[in-house]
Amino acid sequence: MFVVRRMRKEVVTIHPSASLFEARELMRGNDIHQLPVIGEDGGLVGIVSNRDIRQATLPVALIRGATEKEADDILRSTSVEKVMTRKVIAATLTDTLEDAIVLLHDFRINALPVVDDQGKVAGIITRTDALKAFIEALGVGEISSRLEVVVPDRPGALAAIVSIIKSFNVNITSLLTTGHSEEEKRAIFIRVATMNVLPLKQAIREAGFEILDPSCFHL
Amino acid sequence: MNRVAYVYHPDYLLHAPSLEYSDDHAELPSRLAAITEHLAAAGLSERMVSVIPGYPDMSDILRVHSREYVQRLEAACRRGDTVLDAEDTYLCRDSYRIALLSAGGAIAGARAVASGSVRRAFCAVRPPGHHADRDSGKGFCLLNNVAVAARYLQAKHGISRVFIIDWDVHHGNGTQAIFLEDPSVFFFSIHEHPSFLYPGTGRRWETGKGAGEGTTLNSPMSPGAGDLEYRMAFEEMLPAAVELFRPEIFLISAGFDAHRDDPLADIHITAEGYRFMTRYVVGLADRYCGGRIVSVLEGGYELSALGASVETHVQELLGT
Repeated sequence: MFVVRRMRKEVVTIHPSASLFEARELMRGNDIHQLPVIGEDGGLVGIVSNRDIRQATLPVALIRGATEKEADDILRSTSVEKVMTRKVIAATLTDTLEDAIVLLHDFRINALPVVDDQGKVAGIITRTDALKAFIEALGVGEISSRLEVVVPDRPGALAAIVSIIKSFNVNITSLLTTGHSEEEKRAIFIRVATMNVLPLKQAIREAGFEILDPSCFHL
Repeated sequence: MNRVAYVYHPDYLLHAPSLEYSDDHAELPSRLAAITEHLAAAGLSERMVSVIPGYPDMSDILRVHSREYVQRLEAACRRGDTVLDAEDTYLCRDSYRIALLSAGGAIAGARAVASGSVRRAFCAVRPPGHHADRDSGKGFCLLNNVAVAARYLQAKHGISRVFIIDWDVHHGNGTQAIFLEDPSVFFFSIHEHPSFLYPGTGRRWETGKGAGEGTTLNSPMSPGAGDLEYRMAFEEMLPAAVELFRPEIFLISAGFDAHRDDPLADIHITAEGYRFMTRYVVGLADRYCGGRIVSVLEGGYELSALGASVETHVQELLGT
């Protein structure tokens, strides 16, 4: 799960000397919210977002009677350089998707430019791209049944569950395990490509594992 | 009292799993045996017009399914495969033929209603159909009986707008996919929430695509939901949809596995709940399209619950 596999390779960028008006038009025209800013030597020098643009027109917008034209004039006469974020959080070509989601979360940003070792922008990965990758990994929307099993938190527990599933010749389409509120236990979420889960659940219970009944969660 | 057709063929009992699967499987011939026994014992079979279906034309099937899939299904049965595409759907040598006959059953019911010889029809068919889409079978389904009936009505009986209500506890992913971009067929499904039950689709924001935007409606229900929650969902969601769409006929994908005794799901409908649901659709049909309803069996796996639920369903179709 590498960033290079999920990033968008066609990146819309802008020069520092361009106006905020151009920046806004570029974002609208491409239905995006961030533009990496590329300097003279082709390297990444900053990033400008639609929020930066809104903030630039804020003083004008607050004046009663101000027109859209006056706001646009401000945008035309302000350069990207003036409002862009210079300290860009970026990913590298060898970063993983895990790196990307931690960066997006910890730095509270919506898009991560991906740069090569020359500092040139090779792609961009957004919060939405990251969510998509994990939606697919979780198998959400795939034709399947979902099981929630609670197991003791030690090696071998998962192997036991998986071999039971294998004995029914059923395909596992996703598997996730997290900690459980009770210590020394783990929760396993499995999606299997079968409608016929009853015999599977029975066998897992008979093997001594606890299957969480959806009715338990109902508030 | 309304004339109601009862569509059934004894060969539906021939689609059965091989010995290696029969212990673990729920979709069995005994389901239909339970239904026919129950309806006879309740004196309901004799009040209906018996219709024995024939085989459909291949053109009826190809209006919904790809030739490639149909050929693949036929070849798998001929070869003696015991499962379809190595998934959960079993096959025996007769399954292809019986699947055609099952679709033929839905067509026979549709024909009887559209021609006016009966007002409604209940088609006790198997294998079920609503998980099958254009190119594949799955979830115990081989051919999409209700979709085939819908397209048949449009092609052969001059019907333009068909309203499908799928109340099987599993989302009708196959039917939804087939009509997703089609504004002439409205697909409404009420089912256990996809996060908890197969097939894992049917979220509330799935409302159609392209030209079909607005003619798909999903009502995912939380585990533990029962008669009251289903009643509220029907009353909240159906009237506006039906009023806007103005259907010329209703098709019901009538699964009875939302019953509280059914082991496959976590919904707690009772036979009285099915009575309400049927009566509600009858009311809509009477108001918008001369009462025309074609009901086609889908799931329902606990035999006495299935029998009791089909009984209330048929009682309401007959009316008093």
